[in-house]
Amino acid sequence: MTALSEQLIDRILRGDRRTIARAISSLEAGDAFSHNVRVACRRHVGRAHVIGVTGPPGAGKSTLVSSLIAGLRARGNTVAVLAVDPSSPFSGGAVLGDRIRMGVHQSDDGVFIRSLASRGHLGGLTAAAADVIDLFDAAGFDTVIVETVGAGQSEVEITRYADTRVVACPPGLGDDVQAIKAGVLEIADVFVVTKADLPDARRTASDLKSMIALRRNTQNPPAVMPVSTVDDKGIPELVAWLADRTVRGLRHADGGIRQARDLVERCLANDNFGQAMGMELLHASPGHVTLRMPVTRTQINFNGRCHGGAIFALADMALGLACNSHGMLATLIDSQMSISTALEEGEHLVADAIEVARSRKIGTYQVRLTRARDDKHVAMLNGTVYVLNQPVDVPELPAS
Amino acid sequence: MKPIHKEMQPSNPDSGEQRWAQEFAQAVPGDPTLMNRSGIPVKPLYTPADRQGKSYDEVGYPGQYPFTRGIYPSMYRGRSWSQRQLIGLGVPEQYNARVKEMLGLGASALSLIPCNSVFRGYDADEVPAELLGTCGTVINNADDMATALDGVPIDTISTAMNDPSPFTLLAFELAVAKRRGVPWEKITGTSNQSDCISHFVANHMFFRLSLQGARRVIVDHIKFCNQQVPNWNALSIVGQHMQQAGATAAEAMAFTLASGVQYAEDCIRAGMDPDQFLPRFTFFFDISVSLFEEVAKFRAGRRVWARLCKERLGAKDPRSWRFKFHGQTSGVDLTRQQPLNNIARVTTQAIAGIFGGLQSLHTDSYDEVFSTPTAEAARIAVATQNILREEAHLTDVIDPLGGSYYVETLTDQMEERINAIIAMIDAEGGMYHAVEKGIVQRMIGESALSFQQKVDAGEQTIVGVNAYKVDEDPATYVSQEYPSAQLMGSYLDRLAAYKKKRSQSAVQNTLSELARSANDGQRNVFEHVVLAAEAGATHGEICGTLRRELGFGQPLTMV
Amino acid sequence: MEKRPPRVIVTKIGFDGHDRGSRVIAACLRDAGMEVIYTPPWQEIGAVVKLALEEDADVIGISSLATDHLIVPKLMEALRSAGLADVQVIVGGIVPHKDEAKLLESGVARVFHPGTALDEVVAQVQALTVKRREMQEVQS
Repeated sequence: MTALSEQLIDRILRGDRRTIARAISSLEAGDAFSHNVRVACRRHVGRAHVIGVTGPPGAGKSTLVSSLIAGLRARGNTVAVLAVDPSSPFSGGAVLGDRIRMGVHQSDDGVFIRSLASRGHLGGLTAAAADVIDLFDAAGFDTVIVETVGAGQSEVEITRYADTRVVACPPGLGDDVQAIKAGVLEIADVFVVTKADLPDARRTASDLKSMIALRRNTQNPPAVMPVSTVDDKGIPELVAWLADRTVRGLRHADGGIRQARDLVERCLANDNFGQAMGMELLHASPGHVTLRMPVTRTQINFNGRCHGGAIFALADMALGLACNSHGMLATLIDSQMSISTALEEGEHLVADAIEVARSRKIGTYQVRLTRARDDKHVAMLNGTVYVLNQPVDVPELPAS
Repeated sequence: MKPIHKEMQPSNPDSGEQRWAQEFAQAVPGDPTLMNRSGIPVKPLYTPADRQGKSYDEVGYPGQYPFTRGIYPSMYRGRSWSQRQLIGLGVPEQYNARVKEMLGLGASALSLIPCNSVFRGYDADEVPAELLGTCGTVINNADDMATALDGVPIDTISTAMNDPSPFTLLAFELAVAKRRGVPWEKITGTSNQSDCISHFVANHMFFRLSLQGARRVIVDHIKFCNQQVPNWNALSIVGQHMQQAGATAAEAMAFTLASGVQYAEDCIRAGMDPDQFLPRFTFFFDISVSLFEEVAKFRAGRRVWARLCKERLGAKDPRSWRFKFHGQTSGVDLTRQQPLNNIARVTTQAIAGIFGGLQSLHTDSYDEVFSTPTAEAARIAVATQNILREEAHLTDVIDPLGGSYYVETLTDQMEERINAIIAMIDAEGGMYHAVEKGIVQRMIGESALSFQQKVDAGEQTIVGVNAYKVDEDPATYVSQEYPSAQLMGSYLDRLAAYKKKRSQSAVQNTLSELARSANDGQRNVFEHVVLAAEAGATHGEICGTLRRELGFGQPLTMV
Repeated sequence: MEKRPPRVIVTKIGFDGHDRGSRVIAACLRDAGMEVIYTPPWQEIGAVVKLALEEDADVIGISSLATDHLIVPKLMEALRSAGLADVQVIVGGIVPHKDEAKLLESGVARVFHPGTALDEVVAQVQALTVKRREMQEVQS
């Protein structure tokens, strides 16, 4: 590491705002400096309370975040905010407008807001955003709030890096309560019903409570809290509830998402076949992996469609990574695949592998394959794996 | 022989039509329909065939439901449209001088545009001095208003105050009226642009209170004026902002009428009778250079609004169903290149508004692209209206384009489009909800971008900008001077003196009562604004008080 | 996909609220592959400086239709004081000819007048981004 790098990292650790901002750009670009930043910050994480805020568009997330910032600042916390917006799949550009609604904090030095675009590579987003969280943590911010759109699986995913997961629900969800993605429901620590001044809010709150009672084990059910930013009702209670949360650094815990992610990344990087087929990582957490692969000329069969073997290859790779994400070597012993849609050259295939069940020796997995551009179902694979007694052993990724 | 395009197939293979279609196809092959700005296809010729099955009853006579041809039976034959030019510059004395000049030249009503600092709810001593008085007149208290209206007979001249919630400028005018012994029943005019919804969608100028806060105050304002200033139009619902922001003619009309419904429903909920408040609802629209579209837009708008008032809002008095509007020629059509061309544009827009049946008209000055208008340019703008009325005799016939196969068809098509958009807004729960969700803003943004792309691609000509360009030196065009620092300095001194000489306790009391009224649904906020104005409170103090109680407006922007 | 697209702030200072132009520009820059941090009108100068710092902006685009350009020199001074002299500033909208020279002297890179094609704005922003990043390299 150069002397300049050391100096810059020193400034980051002391909380210098300008250096932090530039370091974030480095992390996004994945340049030479970013590796040093990543490594240095890892040594100083675990202090910040990371709060993930997600929810459907129109739920009032940004306004909610703005109120939370005010409440946290009143308690003397410094707050860093990471607002994530999707990049346009056509142009690669983005309009980052979340911080518009946090305008009231525009002159408070105890608040640092950064807008990030997904830049097309959903995998890239996750990596950079996770590193930015670590950066804020290492720089000494008491609270780090991550706000995402929550419309797609991958946007929700970033909140898995949080210690506390907040899901914002607008009133009048009605049947849409069912539509709250299963993944979101599983991870939420608190459901905040926003715009509680509106008439539908009470019903939405009770709908949520019923749904939680039905679908979650009652051990640690998520809270349901109505808030109204219009008259500030419910905000002090929510802020107090957040202040009482003691969990920190969950993402770096053993068996946690960070560890699983790093391992899966390393496995994929070291997989010759996966690399040759252009497989790309979209999501990784313990037992859950999502991959994407372009359908190129090489994968086309004599009928002008994507070869079944290529579909199987992606499904197998996703399954393999999912079952190895816990750190113990596992191997596929039996599988069955059914295909319903043909793909053409130029399309992208997405494989989402989830762990259905796992015991000490056996694991059951399901992989759903879809067409990237419209989520149309392509194929399904069910597989059984056998877990070996050895840990997964792959080399570290080289510094970029 | 070239084939006849399907759009041109005569419905009635009668010899004249058939022959014309063939000859036209020879001269102009291919699809001859063109798209107007609202996205309605326009054919080369309209004939009785286009009006088949339509009865004159659907159009109606002027002054009768559904008012397609005009809201009054005599229209301009009885009384010309009001020439209501926007005036706003520098300090109150400058405003007063310009008003007197305009009234002398034929303007028959006045409109006051306050300084941007006033727009935002601040007094002159709370903002950067460079920005004072450059785009409008600084008016902060009742004394300023007295200076601005010095020598102006407010009991006979209609005054429009461009000043929505909390309507301090009207409050100052009412205070002046009291001082002069003019009963409030004699005060005529409009709280121009009082519609809060449109400010949250576009324009974003009058942003003093949160949307819901402004919503509360406007209803109180309507109630107060109904009872105490009965000849004042408390509500001016604005289509101009949205059209200036890029909405098509149909979109602007639809969103505006949908807003009108929201305000009416709020008034009904507040216990008012539609026949009591609807006659004082007015509209404020943009007039673009796309002449026929504008005429059809206004004719269709009258029909749709009449039906909404009668059927949806339950108004029984025919006077409640009338769509009264002020038109302003569209500033976004004007160009910086070859600015004198703007005179031709404004003339075309004015004609469109007159044929559209407006009640009052503001014509832009050609140099508005550079700054607030110079005196000479302002004169030309008023002269334009005089020429159209007295030389071109546009007032001789009521709704002269009525009956045109084209204009009646286009009016019907506009009406369909407007109704479809209103239905969509209804499905979202009304304009307040649609605006909070950002739906309206997004539609307008798309229309704006699409228009700009057409201009950039050369599909829409803008003379002097993407076609017919000349070499010119922009430095040769004179722009209005900014108010001198000295003038502003002396104004600020007067403001400071004013704040000292009034009764501090009286001001404090009225401001406290004002604050209390904002939190009490039973009290009328505007009534307390008037009391505070009379006691000597300034604009910034009144707005500041309400900001604290009702919240500061945050734009609900999306791109 | 671009590793580091230009990051552009599109904003308005002063009092004017007409933002059709700034929205069109923001959408256009997005469509050209840039990351646009878009703000509503009436931003305080201090807020714009903080924004430029936190977002590591390459270019700040000020839209000015009324006379708000008169306080742009104050913004330029504030950027310099905050150590952000490398951030490039452009002003678009209605700027009287007599005031243009003053803006350029205060450090504004370019003033755009109505009627400018969107392509030209995009090209200029791209060029200014390159310039700013070169200045950054030199600084470090």
